[in-house]
Amino acid sequence: MRSTGLRSLAAVSALLAALLLTQAVRGANRPKYGGTLRVELHAANVSLDPREWKVGSIGAAEGEKLATLIYDRLVTLDDYGRFQQALATEWSHDTAGKIWQFKLRPGVKFSNGSPLTPSDVANALQGLLPRPLQIIPGESTLTIRSSRPVPDLLEQLASGRCFVLRKNPDGAFLGTGPFYLAENIPAQPAEANPGALKLAHLKFRANEEAWAGRPFVDAVEVTLGAPGLRQILDLQVGRADLIEIAPDLVRKARQDNLRVWSSAPATLLALRFDTTQRAASDDRLREAVDLVLDRDTMANVLLQREAQPAAALLPQWLTGYAFLFGSPMNLNRAREIRASLPANEAGTAEPLRLRVDAAGDLMKLLGERVAVNARQANLAVQVTLHATAAYPSASTNPNPPAAGLHLVAWHYDSLSARVELEALVSQFSLEDAGETAPPAFDPEKLYAEERRLLEQRQLLPLIVLPDYVGVGPAVRNWSPAPWGEWRLADVWLETGDNTTSGAPGESSGTSAKDRAPGVRP
Amino acid sequence: MFRKSCFVLIFLTFLFPVPRGAAGEANPLDDATRLLADRIAAIPNLHGSLRLEFAGGDGLATSSGKPWQESFRKELEARHLSLTEEPSAPALRVAVTATPTQWILAASVRSTDHDEVRFVSLPRASIRSATLPAAPLRIERQLVFESPERILDASSLANGSEGIALLVYRNGELTALRLDAAGAVKQSVAIVAADIHPSRDPRGELSAQGGNVDVLLPGKICSFGWTSAGEVKCRPAKPAWRGTTVLAPPCDPAGWKLVSDGLDWTTPEMLQVVPDGSSREGSGAILSELPGPILTVNREQNPASALVVTRNLHSGNYEVYRITLACGS
Repeated sequence: MRSTGLRSLAAVSALLAALLLTQAVRGANRPKYGGTLRVELHAANVSLDPREWKVGSIGAAEGEKLATLIYDRLVTLDDYGRFQQALATEWSHDTAGKIWQFKLRPGVKFSNGSPLTPSDVANALQGLLPRPLQIIPGESTLTIRSSRPVPDLLEQLASGRCFVLRKNPDGAFLGTGPFYLAENIPAQPAEANPGALKLAHLKFRANEEAWAGRPFVDAVEVTLGAPGLRQILDLQVGRADLIEIAPDLVRKARQDNLRVWSSAPATLLALRFDTTQRAASDDRLREAVDLVLDRDTMANVLLQREAQPAAALLPQWLTGYAFLFGSPMNLNRAREIRASLPANEAGTAEPLRLRVDAAGDLMKLLGERVAVNARQANLAVQVTLHATAAYPSASTNPNPPAAGLHLVAWHYDSLSARVELEALVSQFSLEDAGETAPPAFDPEKLYAEERRLLEQRQLLPLIVLPDYVGVGPAVRNWSPAPWGEWRLADVWLETGDNTTSGAPGESSGTSAKDRAPGVRP
Repeated sequence: MFRKSCFVLIFLTFLFPVPRGAAGEANPLDDATRLLADRIAAIPNLHGSLRLEFAGGDGLATSSGKPWQESFRKELEARHLSLTEEPSAPALRVAVTATPTQWILAASVRSTDHDEVRFVSLPRASIRSATLPAAPLRIERQLVFESPERILDASSLANGSEGIALLVYRNGELTALRLDAAGAVKQSVAIVAADIHPSRDPRGELSAQGGNVDVLLPGKICSFGWTSAGEVKCRPAKPAWRGTTVLAPPCDPAGWKLVSDGLDWTTPEMLQVVPDGSSREGSGAILSELPGPILTVNREQNPASALVVTRNLHSGNYEVYRITLACGS
């Protein structure tokens, strides 16, 4: 026994030694330049114009992922709570936080070689910041004035749509970021099989003159509209380096031993009441629906713990107080309320119609779960699927009856909790006309405001989902922000191929003449 | 006594907490903890014992934050709040969360017929990483300097002077710093003449020779003297980058190599100390987990020690450690 043990120890030690020796030979590795990073996304279309993004939409989140390739922000936020210089190198504000001054980085050029001016920055940000602010360009500075204090201006500038870009007269968009858009090939019938569709492709090439240094990879190739299972297969066989993984496929990806990265909870799935169906305006019915929802089962069983139950509109990582909103589930109380309602309200003859806005297997499953939960309190909920490009056959009725409930998805995109809550209120019309709460900057006021909104029960949070990304074995320095922002300029590829090693000038990059002058969204 | 012929993997288990701040230095987290306890104690009609429940959040309110939880418990008790483990007692729920820009300390307790909620917030960057729960140190080492600025290399000063020299990449420019033995910056020399291109992977090494310093850069070498720091002269040259660092502790002068792979800048890295020389390959290894990827390793004048630059993934700061191979346990 002892001899066997010693032999095993010797074998393990020899193995470790061999490993150490290999690494010693390899020495201190430097990041490698070159190669093409292949990315696959679910979205069939992505706009690179931040002005076109609908706040809180999944489309905006997809657009933001790609926009970080070609545009810069004034400031960025690192993973440690520190604002970092980007296009602005210094900033200051008055004591009230109403006047902010930014000193712009000198010598920055757009990808076509033209210089970035303070006017470019002012023009870009005008309309992208959530409420009217006066943006005044100086000689090398930018002043932002507000009639109200904006203590969270840096959070706003470091997230969401606040990218600096220039729109050329020909409609092309220019950025100062690490890449530029070189090719934009829309989806088209495949040559070999005209019945099948060749997916849309975007190709971004490295900007050799980027002010923060050339990115490590030569190019980023993005395939749009790739179905979830195909993405997983492509990652497995080495046809993709980065893929999005739908929450209901995460378990499969893990079982297949894929490297799965997840962000902090990034998407809220919620029920929105719509008074176009009269029953939805009844406060008691809304309370009964809220009390009957089994959020834990949705997150832990339906989504196999790849989601978290949500009782708050904003996530814990953004506010620090979401845990204070406990699950309101109370079946007995829901039944009592149901008994006090008119029989035809959410009854069999006139069910509460639940429209699933963003069709998909997960959304359909959740909608059906809501109906099952409601039935436990004798509330009739009928799920109707709304047609989308992805699911054109979902709805056959061109004039469906009014729905009293909508299953909606909201992607958090601001690093300011105050801005995020205001955007939710605005998007889902959660305030009565004329009622506008003063901006809440400190946690107490924000908590009180969110509590008030939750008590109105116009929007019922269900679950929050992280973004899931499958990362290929060759990808190095994959270091996205915890809140989900990708940082592909810092990624490099370990291919074991000499063509990807060495300094920027030595890589198989594109020559300057190959460069496209701008970006067409 | 280490036996060369035996296949043994040695893990040093002694821990050396690294003092980073002067004694008595104000700690914003301690202040925030006391403030939260004050606010809870001031809640009206709070009678009887409370059951302390740490919920949600991350960092300090989870298991890795036990010391903070104990300190918070003591603050509550110091304010005559009675705490119990009794499940039927009203819960005082507490979470500490690092939001993208702030630490939020939140507490909620039931008072008569409603919930009372209290908050304390502080800028996230105001808490030093030493305060936060961190991975235990596993080898003898000393943190000698930390900075949010990118440190490219560290070198001991020549001529037996105490202190170290650093090469720092600041906003696209290089600066050499001379630090005294206490880690205070005594001199700063801008290497403007290097005229480097912006890079995501800036590279540079310091090489001290007497009172002069060579800064090795891709395609050039810049030289200056600490005594005539205004004059930095650069010349085109192919730099001979530093090779493997070998240390020689007094009890084993045959030498030990410091090995790091630097393959992934997103994960903490294990510094491997392995015997030098093919005849001794595999005879043992000492491992030390650093709080981030190892960026450079440079031997000091003391043959048993080296300076290691790492990026602490917990704080985002660049840190310089002195690794010393000590004999015995």
